[in-house]
Amino acid sequence: MRDWIQRILFWLSLIGIIVSIFMIFFYAPIDRNLGIVQKIFYFHLPVAITPYLAFFVVFICSIFFLWKRERRWDVIALASAEIGLVIDTALLVTGTIWDKPTWGVWWVWEPRLTTSLIMWLLYAGYLLLRRSVGEEARRARFAAVYGIVAFISVPISFMSIRWWRTLHPLVFKPTGIELEPPMVFTVFVCLIAFFLFYLCLLRQRIGLEFLREGIEDLKDRFGGG
Amino acid sequence: MNYLRRILTIVGKDIAAEIRTKEMMNSMIVFVLLTLVIFNFAFGERLEGAAEASAGILWVAFLFAAVLGLNRVFVHEKDEGCLDGLMLCPVDRSVIYFGKALASLIFISVVELIALPIFAIFFIRTSFLVNLWLLILVLILSNVGIAAVGTLLSAISINTKARDLMLPILFFPVIVPILIAAVKSTGLIISSPSLPGDVFVWLRMLAIYDIIFMLVGFLTFEYVLEE
Repeated sequence: MRDWIQRILFWLSLIGIIVSIFMIFFYAPIDRNLGIVQKIFYFHLPVAITPYLAFFVVFICSIFFLWKRERRWDVIALASAEIGLVIDTALLVTGTIWDKPTWGVWWVWEPRLTTSLIMWLLYAGYLLLRRSVGEEARRARFAAVYGIVAFISVPISFMSIRWWRTLHPLVFKPTGIELEPPMVFTVFVCLIAFFLFYLCLLRQRIGLEFLREGIEDLKDRFGGG
Repeated sequence: MNYLRRILTIVGKDIAAEIRTKEMMNSMIVFVLLTLVIFNFAFGERLEGAAEASAGILWVAFLFAAVLGLNRVFVHEKDEGCLDGLMLCPVDRSVIYFGKALASLIFISVVELIALPIFAIFFIRTSFLVNLWLLILVLILSNVGIAAVGTLLSAISINTKARDLMLPILFFPVIVPILIAAVKSTGLIISSPSLPGDVFVWLRMLAIYDIIFMLVGFLTFEYVLEE
């Protein structure tokens, strides 16, 4: 890690996550209704927001790639899609753990949870598409087009699922969480820590992709296998 | 109106090719029927009088058949070198997109119109003919969205290594809003002769989706077909 920005990001996100864990367990009070289970909320919320951010980055980079035709936009899109998919997986896992005590079941076809699942499928498809195109220029173009289509479909899916749900009211009513000031502050710190962590992973993944390309170039030049 | 005439030329070419070979439509129709029969065995008597569930079956069958057809949209173009010919034509790339999408729209709609009466005989026990026009409107609006997204993604998937496998993976998660809206509105229409206002919420949803994705296809298609 000679890159000093990356080094700073790494330490900031590490410290941020340690501080958030400390705040979650020792600073924020235990929820009156839900008890200790509510602690997962502090992790769940940043994990719920970051995939949207990550896939938004994919969307923007896809547009920029089609417009400017520079390799780096494609690389950022790839990196952000992979990280977004991993965090979305974490979201689905924490979501089901969160559902069990609040709604009594592991899974509810509730708009936000369902949208996260569809988002997961969309970007799993995005990565599968990338693997299925051999030629580099073509892969980047196809991925960019699908990156745009997929992101545009997310809000429409969310809306349609919400209507689908409101016309058929929920059986399980979510228990409201009343957030006290220390809780809000903790969530805020967790959000920032997680955002830094995302940036750190993103830069790391981008660097990795350029390294991989460098190796391919060297192989081509020296005729290695 | 030159633009429109060029689109219709491509549509005419596709229809002529399909009438001569009949390979796409025939397999789509048989596939829809097979799906309906399989669902009948999978759910049995639980479907009696359950209009919304049968609407779901109808749309699963239609969507699967649509994917089957959409997979073929560019197969001949690609394998027989016709795609190169189309791309050499002195027309805008969006003409090719709209031409192909309109042809797919026509094929999918014809298959659905043939399958619909058979579905009605199999599964529907109420009289829904009063609102037949509305059901046809639902079909058309849904098919526009399916063709708009499907043609774009079909042009992508035909150029991948996985080919036929790729299209459903890319297509189904994007088409979820259409499926929801189509199933809900079809269910409402076939379950009772009186028209609930909710139907129009879903029709609006379908129209919004159609407009957005036709626009996306129009703007991005030229990047897919660029060689």
